[in-house]
Amino acid sequence: MKTIEVSWRNLWRNRTRTYVTISAVALCIGILIIFQSMIVGLIDKAVFTTTNLVVGEVQIHADDYLNDRSLYKYLKNTEKIKSIAKKNNIGLVERSYGFGLISSGTKSAGTQFWGVNPESELMHFDFAKHIDQGTFLSSSSSNKIVLGNKLALSLAAEVGTELVVFVQGADGSLGNELFYVSGILKNVADNIDRSAAIMLINDFNILFSANNMIHEIALNSKGNFEAEEIQNLMSAEIKNVEIDTWKQLMPTISLMTEKMSVFMRTLFSLIFTIAAGLGVMNTMIMSTYDRMREFGIIRAIGATPWRIIRQVSLEAIILTFIASIIGTIVGLSVALYFQKYGFDVTGQGNLSIGGVVMDPIWKSSVSLGIVLLPIALMMLISTISSLYPASIAARIKPVEAIHYKK
Amino acid sequence: MNTNNEIVSLTNIIKNYDNGKVITKALQGIDLKIYQGDFSVMMGPSGCGKSTLLNIIGALDRATSGSVIFNGKDFNSLTNKELSIIRRNQIGFVFQNYNLLPVLTAYENAEYVLMLQNIPLSQRKEKVMNLFKEMELEGLENRLPRELSGGQQQRVAIARAVVTNPLLVLADEITANVDSKTAQSLLMLMEKLNKNNNITFLFSTHDPIVKKFARKVILLKDGRIDKEELSSENI
Ligand SMILES: Nc1ncnc2c1ncn2[C@@H]1O[C@H](COP(=O)(O)OP(=O)(O)O)[C@@H](O)[C@H]1O
Ligand SMILES: [Mg+2]
Repeated sequence: MKTIEVSWRNLWRNRTRTYVTISAVALCIGILIIFQSMIVGLIDKAVFTTTNLVVGEVQIHADDYLNDRSLYKYLKNTEKIKSIAKKNNIGLVERSYGFGLISSGTKSAGTQFWGVNPESELMHFDFAKHIDQGTFLSSSSSNKIVLGNKLALSLAAEVGTELVVFVQGADGSLGNELFYVSGILKNVADNIDRSAAIMLINDFNILFSANNMIHEIALNSKGNFEAEEIQNLMSAEIKNVEIDTWKQLMPTISLMTEKMSVFMRTLFSLIFTIAAGLGVMNTMIMSTYDRMREFGIIRAIGATPWRIIRQVSLEAIILTFIASIIGTIVGLSVALYFQKYGFDVTGQGNLSIGGVVMDPIWKSSVSLGIVLLPIALMMLISTISSLYPASIAARIKPVEAIHYKK
Repeated sequence: MNTNNEIVSLTNIIKNYDNGKVITKALQGIDLKIYQGDFSVMMGPSGCGKSTLLNIIGALDRATSGSVIFNGKDFNSLTNKELSIIRRNQIGFVFQNYNLLPVLTAYENAEYVLMLQNIPLSQRKEKVMNLFKEMELEGLENRLPRELSGGQQQRVAIARAVVTNPLLVLADEITANVDSKTAQSLLMLMEKLNKNNNITFLFSTHDPIVKKFARKVILLKDGRIDKEELSSENI
């Protein structure tokens, strides 16, 4: 006979009460697992939408390029990067960047020119699909430009508008060409909206007298790899370049999503587990009053108050443990179902974050943490809740309790 | 059997119950000694203070004033925790309502006290099984209290009280809920334990059967000892 066995038997003296309490606690744990997996799923989705748009999961630049975006700081060993990406089936695009001036009629604006390969951009990223007017580039659209929408507005440019472009080429010469607006992007990201002018990489090379200067490689496995995995894969073989994950490239977004996730999950977990903890406390208070006389006897035959506290708390812990198992089985099954199949939220209007429309299938995301957090919290709160009834039981004066009539 | 070995010495014990409105003077100056091997009974009308006195001797309650020396220790100088250790190791209680723990079997009820004493499992088993044999409780080990008759429950309660080999067993109205035949057999059992195991018993009762077995009768009246007499039949 062990204390744990005594607690177990005591737990089942009032079956109905115990069943009800276990169900309530299990329900809370189940709901918390489902709820958290949905939150994490939503945040993952927001992150996915963001990285999928233009940034990718990992970007590679020449050393120091991000501090000083000079035309001459370009990547030298792109072939090796491409072969690693290809081997691991990671999407890859190469981008060239240069600065200059663009003007249309009397209006002009400072611009960041992008030299891109439209097929790979369309295949691996989403921004090229977010076209407000006109069309995105194709491999045959030479001397065409796609503009960020705010830039288009400030140039009063529309599809077909003639643009004059001035840049300083790589050889120091002045690049000066005529382009026509092929399309205007929707809201994508602030820097793109304000200053991006996107052209074929061939046109870029001619304009800047450059010989395929790749300033940025963006990698996107669309979730097949963690960003850090890609980063490690690359940095193992590629040296003397800067390899950053999206989290490093967009620290505010990364921090915000992380904080939001932690905050929401902790807040909801606390609310639910405290509510369930009060239920546990109520059950334990009732069962303590039912057993006043027994606690008196136990004290009379020499048990210390500490032993009684342990016994009562153990009952609450066992109860919560059983509830945790049931709650986890139920909650995890539902969460895993939604992780696999998701649910369609089209009916409730478009799911959009920061103006970016997201896929309407909302999937949950299950991890060990979302199961352990509510269980650990529930265990902690149940134990704390049981201390009050336990202390009632422990403070019983044996003489009074033995004569206690219930 | 009276070896003149003093176990308990009470000096001028006073106990007042104060419920905020009225003060009940339950004990009004008790002087009493209990010796090793005693088989004594306290008698007196209901409300005369028998239970109160047993509780004070058994360290379940503290006197308002006066001293209790138990086996050389002054209860007034001990903490509640020390008192509960004394209860655990040196005192056995048997109550009127049996008061077995309902979720434990007969065997486990007796074993529980040994568990409180941190006695290892094998020794616990040996002690309880030997005692159950001696007390004719064999075969009832795995029954829950509700599956036992009143007499059987009281027998288990006595087993629980004596399994630790205490210096003193206090038994408060333990025959009140059983028929006289059962009462008789319980007392015979305790008499046997008193003789064979040299366990000291102090009873409180209304029951003349108990008086028949006692070697000393203490008569209580209004919180005072009225008379202490040796019972001629049993010496
Ligand atoms: N916990 C208590 N609170 C107040 N009065 C009590 C309490 N216990 C006993 N008494 C009173 O003390 C007196 C002695 O009681 P008790 O020792 O139980 O007598 P007995 O056991 O001889 O019947 C009685 O008047 C009783 O009402
Ligand atoms: Mg009484």
